[in-house]
Amino acid sequence: MGIIRAVNLIFDYIRHDEENDKEEINHALRGVSLDIEEGSFVAILGHNGSGKSTFAKLMNGILLPSDGTVYIADMKTNDEEHLWDVRKTAGMVFQNPDNQIIGNVVEEDVGFGPENMGVPTEEIWERVDKSLEAVGMTAYRLQSPNKLSGGQKQRVAIAGVMAMKPRCIVLDEPTAMLDPNGRREVIKTIHELNQQEGITVLLITHYMEEVIDADRVVVMDGGHVVMDGTPKEVFSKVNELKKYRLDVPQVTELADELKQAGMELPDGILTIEELVEELAAQLS
Amino acid sequence: MLRDITLGQYYPIDSVLHRMDPRTKLFGTMAYIVSLFIADSLPVYAAAALFLVIAIRMSKVPVKFMVRGLKSIVILLLISVSFNLFLTPGTTIFKIGFLQMTWEGVEFAALMAVRLIFLVLGSTILTLTTTPNQLTDGLEKSLGFLGKVGVPVHEVSMMMSIALRFIPILIEETDKIMKAQMARGADFETGNLIQKAKAMVPLLVPLFISAFRRATDLAMAMEARCYRGGDGRTKMKPLRYENRDRVAYAVCFVYLAAVIGMKIIL
Repeated sequence: MGIIRAVNLIFDYIRHDEENDKEEINHALRGVSLDIEEGSFVAILGHNGSGKSTFAKLMNGILLPSDGTVYIADMKTNDEEHLWDVRKTAGMVFQNPDNQIIGNVVEEDVGFGPENMGVPTEEIWERVDKSLEAVGMTAYRLQSPNKLSGGQKQRVAIAGVMAMKPRCIVLDEPTAMLDPNGRREVIKTIHELNQQEGITVLLITHYMEEVIDADRVVVMDGGHVVMDGTPKEVFSKVNELKKYRLDVPQVTELADELKQAGMELPDGILTIEELVEELAAQLS
Repeated sequence: MLRDITLGQYYPIDSVLHRMDPRTKLFGTMAYIVSLFIADSLPVYAAAALFLVIAIRMSKVPVKFMVRGLKSIVILLLISVSFNLFLTPGTTIFKIGFLQMTWEGVEFAALMAVRLIFLVLGSTILTLTTTPNQLTDGLEKSLGFLGKVGVPVHEVSMMMSIALRFIPILIEETDKIMKAQMARGADFETGNLIQKAKAMVPLLVPLFISAFRRATDLAMAMEARCYRGGDGRTKMKPLRYENRDRVAYAVCFVYLAAVIGMKIIL
């Protein structure tokens, strides 16, 4: 059994009109079940409105499911009693780097989580040192977050979550507001955390390039899980992905076009190197 | 212009003042403000100036950086100075219509200007050398006794600290919205006061909406990091008085006593 288990999740946004009558029901999730193994790197892909962000917010009890259950390390998120343990276990990084940094100095922000958890002072410092080190932001510890670039801010936010020693991190489109450099920075950091600290990562995104190195890719559309598999498996179905209004990485698209034009290439080519190798083999 | 406000911006550098306990600095600032308000003679102003210069020196913050914060009060300064110049009764220097400039007015205006400038510089030192979090920690601890009578001290100090953190962000945003509206032909510069105030509406509405959105996001982020009010929280930087704080307290007391003494004697 995995560290994150979602069982038949349903979530409806209900908009009320002035008389408090139900006016509009928006089904964000219509029965999502997922089992995520500890230590894995799972990416959730989806177009706008696919329900992926809602799914993320259900992971640590920020939203509670209308129906179905989320288990984080076998604790129910809608169990009032375990709510804070759930949030300790599943840390969360949000999209906008400015709106999740509370401290006015980088190190104070990283210490915010442990402070809330009632960790003793010396241990807070240890955790802050370690977390800043892990995301490579030690040099900036005394800076004001306002002076950092977007990618750096996002790394601080990740350090802030790391300091709470979670077993898994849920990242809700952490790179959506960053430039390509910042994006690369953040993705690299997440991968390092996953590999070196063994933290389970649930990355929610709509950038294809970011999911190539994931262990598992889940595609969501219209509140359902529509594809689930390794990046190779998922990206080999170019046409299906396009149906869900998702692009495939450029190399994969090129390989697919070549294949349709009559070349013999395997499915699911993800990197330029792979394609070059295959082509070289073909041409020699 | 909007970027020049230094009030509420921490200047990261290592100095004695930076390391001092925020409670000490709060007390020092209070003592200083009190001294400015009871000051009415030159020697007292000289003492205040000396206190200020020493404090600025000790903070290691570049004077230029500090003076920039004064730009934001120029208008307030001009208004209060001109009121004092022309509306103080006394020996007339010259007269235009009903406005008359008096010697007493000149003296009063000068002292007023000095008082205001000292006031802003003094409080700027506090915010430049103290991170807003330390500042609110200091306030929270100094006012902790109010918690016993039901005042939400922790919540208020948290709100202050967050407000301070978002000042630069919202200023930047205002700048952005202003430029975006100007690119669409909005005019913030010309017209009389009412027209200018009306021109602010397309600036304020998006700013408010975005501030609310930020507030929701921030609340969510704080909850995700296990924030649940002040109970059971530990401190990363707990407040502890050191020897330098005791010395600082002594200096502030001596200064305050000296000022009060001068006021009584002179």
